[in-house]
Amino acid sequence: MVKTNTPQVQIINCTTGEEIIRDATAEEIAWMQENAVKATAEKAEAKAKETAKAQLLSKLGITAEEAVLLLS
Amino acid sequence: MAKQTFTTGQVLTAAQMTSLQQTAMLGGAASAKTASYTLVAADAGTAISMSNASATTITVNTALFAAGDTVQITNLGAGVCTITAGTATVNTASSLALAQYESGTLDFTSTSAAIFIKGAGAVAASGGMTLISTTAITNTSLITLSSIPATYKTLQVVIRGAMAEGDNDKLRLQFNTDVTGSRYRTADAVVTLDNATYNDNNVELSPGQDNNSSTNLIVITVPDYTNTTTIKMAISDAVTNNATTNTNINYKRNVGFYKQTPAISSISLFMSSSNFYATGSILLYGVS
Repeated sequence: MVKTNTPQVQIINCTTGEEIIRDATAEEIAWMQENAVKATAEKAEAKAKETAKAQLLSKLGITAEEAVLLLS
Repeated sequence: MAKQTFTTGQVLTAAQMTSLQQTAMLGGAASAKTASYTLVAADAGTAISMSNASATTITVNTALFAAGDTVQITNLGAGVCTITAGTATVNTASSLALAQYESGTLDFTSTSAAIFIKGAGAVAASGGMTLISTTAITNTSLITLSSIPATYKTLQVVIRGAMAEGDNDKLRLQFNTDVTGSRYRTADAVVTLDNATYNDNNVELSPGQDNNSSTNLIVITVPDYTNTTTIKMAISDAVTNNATTNTNINYKRNVGFYKQTPAISSISLFMSSSNFYATGSILLYGVS
């Protein structure tokens, strides 16, 4: 497939077996971008949380397993 | 031997007589097809076999056959072969879809109408799984399985080795190409929802995954997808390669809920923030 700048959509007709690849519509691009922004923010948030957790464990001088044990 | 009009005094060859005998005794070789096919007049009185791993069709048009003509169709392939009314009318008491090793006969009642008489097949057994389609994933943003036959009780989507361009992306799903906000809700399968709102325009069906390894396996079940009175749901079991240490795994069982009641006729899949790589495959099964 020749890669273009426009996002592509692959559609499979499960009754006829016909398969097409077409450019995404403006509406599809809009909601996909909206989702991508949200997903990127979630990834950044998860990464920040992970870093904060690691820093806290380091400050306390314990491992993640030891922290779990403390809270059990 | 194709149906023809014999004339007075015509001398039949041995080959014609052998062919006629084979047809009369249903012993003739089937005309083998490997791709979707539109019947022609010469198919009257013959047998056709279809063999393809993906879904195919046999199309029936008018003004080619006469009342009393028959065409026997057998599906040898893993992909469902569907008898499709082109310009002609095709009625049946059962289903126009032939799963692998199923067979049926088109019995023409006029030049423009036929009845499809389907023989009993493996699909009639409750719990049997039929492979509806197999799709090689391409480098696209969105993959839609459309025109899903409404002849099964449950759908199962098996996604092998799907990989996103973006690291730690998650697989998401929409039904019926519906992108309306507040119609979807995702839940961790071990968490109880109590008075939950619909809060998204899709559902999330996998944990994050590495964008450099493709041994992920995601299985999505869509039960009772043809009913038109209830909320729909998709239950997924997903094991993916961890994005930080790709020899380790992530596992998640999620349930996605869809607020609308119409039957599900299409399933769209996409990665949370990037394209699919052109690797892996999607198998859609129907469970009887």
